[in-house]
Amino acid sequence: MTGYALLIPELLVLAGAFWALFAELLPGRDRGSAWAGFSLTAAAAVIAVLQPVAVAGPFPEQLAFDGPARFARVTILVLTAAWMLWTAGRGAGRMREAVSLALFAVLGAMLMAGARELVTLVLAIELATMPAYVLIGYRKDNVLGLEGALKYFLLSLLTSLVMLYGFSFLYGISGSTLYAEIDLTGAGVLGLIAVLFSMVGLLAKLSAAPFHYWAPDAYAGAQPWTVAFVSSVPKVAGAFAAMRLLATMAPDTASMSMVLAVIAGGSILLGNLGALTQTDIRRMMAYSGVAHTGYLLLGAVTLTTGGYIAAVFYAVAYAFPSLGVMLVTAEEGPALADLNGLSSRRPAAAWATAVMLLSLIGIPPLVGFFGKLFLFQAALSGGQTVLVVLAVTMSVVSAGYYLRIVRAMFFAEEEPGHRGAALNRPAAVALTMCIIAVVGIGLFAGPLFQAMGTFLR
Amino acid sequence: MLTFIVFLPLVGAAICALLPKDRPTWPRWVALAVTTVDLALVAWVVSRFQIGAGHQFAEKFAWVPAVDINYSLAVDGLSLPMLVLSALLTFLAVIASFKIESKPKFYFAMLLLLQVGTNGVFLALDFVLFYVFWELVLVPMYFLIAQWGGERREYAAIKFFLYTLLGSVFMLVGIIALYLKTGSFDMLKLSVLGGLLPPGFQNWVFLAFFLGFAVKVPMWPLHTWLPDAHVEAPTAASALLAGVLLKMGTYGFLRVSLPMLPDAFASWRWFLAVLAMISILYGAIVAFAQTDLKKLVAYSSVSHMGFAMLGIASGTALGINGAMAVNFSHGLVTGLLFFLVGMIYERAHTREIARISGIAGQMPVLAGLLAFTSFASMGLPGLSGFVGEFLSLLGAWQSDLSRWVVVVSVLGVLLGAAYILWMVQRVVMGQPSHTIADCADVTPVELMVASPLVFLVVAVGLNWDLLLRYTDPAARAVAKIVGF
Repeated sequence: MTGYALLIPELLVLAGAFWALFAELLPGRDRGSAWAGFSLTAAAAVIAVLQPVAVAGPFPEQLAFDGPARFARVTILVLTAAWMLWTAGRGAGRMREAVSLALFAVLGAMLMAGARELVTLVLAIELATMPAYVLIGYRKDNVLGLEGALKYFLLSLLTSLVMLYGFSFLYGISGSTLYAEIDLTGAGVLGLIAVLFSMVGLLAKLSAAPFHYWAPDAYAGAQPWTVAFVSSVPKVAGAFAAMRLLATMAPDTASMSMVLAVIAGGSILLGNLGALTQTDIRRMMAYSGVAHTGYLLLGAVTLTTGGYIAAVFYAVAYAFPSLGVMLVTAEEGPALADLNGLSSRRPAAAWATAVMLLSLIGIPPLVGFFGKLFLFQAALSGGQTVLVVLAVTMSVVSAGYYLRIVRAMFFAEEEPGHRGAALNRPAAVALTMCIIAVVGIGLFAGPLFQAMGTFLR
Repeated sequence: MLTFIVFLPLVGAAICALLPKDRPTWPRWVALAVTTVDLALVAWVVSRFQIGAGHQFAEKFAWVPAVDINYSLAVDGLSLPMLVLSALLTFLAVIASFKIESKPKFYFAMLLLLQVGTNGVFLALDFVLFYVFWELVLVPMYFLIAQWGGERREYAAIKFFLYTLLGSVFMLVGIIALYLKTGSFDMLKLSVLGGLLPPGFQNWVFLAFFLGFAVKVPMWPLHTWLPDAHVEAPTAASALLAGVLLKMGTYGFLRVSLPMLPDAFASWRWFLAVLAMISILYGAIVAFAQTDLKKLVAYSSVSHMGFAMLGIASGTALGINGAMAVNFSHGLVTGLLFFLVGMIYERAHTREIARISGIAGQMPVLAGLLAFTSFASMGLPGLSGFVGEFLSLLGAWQSDLSRWVVVVSVLGVLLGAAYILWMVQRVVMGQPSHTIADCADVTPVELMVASPLVFLVVAVGLNWDLLLRYTDPAARAVAKIVGF
């Protein structure tokens, strides 16, 4: 029975999701749902930190409670808590469904990060992504949002099928869906196909090139505050799930490394070059998200456990600044010009955004730098010099477009008639949480990276 | 103690940022207090520094034990003069910026943040820490140029940022590559371990570091960011850019490229020497053609830093001492030149050389300072500029570099004298132009900015040992590693 205590964070999230569903009847009504979501995820995060790691857990064969799983759960919960807090403070219109959907997605994401059985993984992935489609098309009067949601849905469906196809090979080869029993040694070409199809499905969900075309349209059609959630939380979970699966399948062929290298390089190139000309921040962040997925895959290319861990650490390093920037965008408006003159009307918000952008560029001592440091280290020791040179060069290109946002905030004249957001305590606290994460995980990157440990089989 | 020197400005920056908005004069006093204390601490370090005792005042504790990243600071003969420059010029830059009226909180916070980076770069002995400070410098300088710069400030700021970032990310690749081969980020250990690496590998890493450092120095053909950044930056930022930031590049060569990659240096030094020679000539010739006073000083920097690089390329103790002397002297002289140009610009509201003349009649003290600094800049014996250029050339002559490189570089000295004198003739002499009609001479505050620099220029120029006794043991150690 004690094992079930490990699932308390998940249960709290589930309770929050149900609270939001019936928020109309509960105290606080609509806004209360977001407050409940915040309190429950924050409590869940604290509990998840305190829980022991490397224990068997209630379903030892299906769910892992190892270092990376704890890291993922805490990250997902903190991200969600910040998002909930922001929503509680700034939320406009009907938010209870969004809160409920987000919490279901969070539940899926948390299970995804720990899943060590194929069916569990599939269920978790679907639980995490289904609500995301709805969140993208949250307003039914917004045609662009619906279009984006449809694109996202169709592509996601397709890639899920590809992934399932890959899983069927995995099952066929090893006769089991348990990670502990998956063994591809000696499977030859069949094993390669299994790895390839499984990974393609997962990577598409991380919007890696060439499966990234849904992301810019989906994000640009959606409301910025839902994009903030969709672009951060599922991505963290997806990275952990993909790397855990990769670590389990343990392919060690040069051709698999090559495929991943092409995907990584292509994502870095297409993402950064695509972002360069955008004037809508949602689109820019969508493309930059593609690029960051590419960076993260630098760790996967090495096909070593160290590389996988560097990759998931980078996913965390990306998620916090990405959430923060999108929240500011949600407050001020999605166009680049909406941020013009932000530093004079809201200096603290402008500085917070600047710090997060610098972290995305990879300026030390922020978290993005350490994420990149660990990744490049892994990739170089794997002999991927060309890829690393491409990555660092493109990170300079990324500075080009991130600095356009900085330029808008600090040096551009405010658009006439632009109505900026007023100060809002909960939203300010939410942004502060992102900043603390960006600076704090940066300064304590070493201990945290060590505490993450490695995937247990 | 060193930690205090590095992070005191950070505390100051935080205080500046948190001061109330309706007290526009407070940030400058905070900045002044912080930089004064910092300078005093540096002076204390100088007084306690034991010559020839290697790295001192060391502080070290683990930061990221998993990959052996440490927080490690220490000062030696190479870093001490640079630390003095950083502390002194920032202190003077604060005084020179008292007139800043737009967003003073932001301005002084950035100035102090910049000092955190520059102090830190010269003291860090752990590669990751070094890189942290190295990159930290970019951010405040970007804001200083983009917020308080001239007309094309945004272009110049972003060009500066992207250029130097491009250089430094390759440096990061080099750092990681070295770590993977040796298992250490410790810069002292690496200067022992690096030499044992196979030359082929060293060559690649050297190239990566070369990109990082040469952009910063800057060496032709990677210099194109410099004229833009210098011209558009506000006076204090220009002075710090030329006086401290460029030195990070040459310091990097001396701290990293030479001792850690001696075999690669041996095969690349020709290349360095030729680039240095081209920089010397190119900078001087282009300086001739400038009509803007600030741009002239900017290109003269390219030329002067070429001498430092020539000294470094020689690989001899003499040459390295020369490079350090150029570093130090150029920091003083060019810093002062930028302050003076700023003073002229404030009065004449133009930097067009053709539109300013005869300041000697109108403002004798300012004219005297300008003439003095110009002489120092062209390397007049008895002033600090001479020491470095002379030793660098001598070192290069002594080494096995082709003497033609040295002979051609000497032409650069002549050209330098020519464009400087021509500038002095046009600006200082002649009938006072209408642009400077009824302009007042230097104020006491401005004199306060100039006098310590003037004093040091003369002191080092007359007594070389004042500087060289600190640098010499360190220079010999580096020269010994590279085999000269």
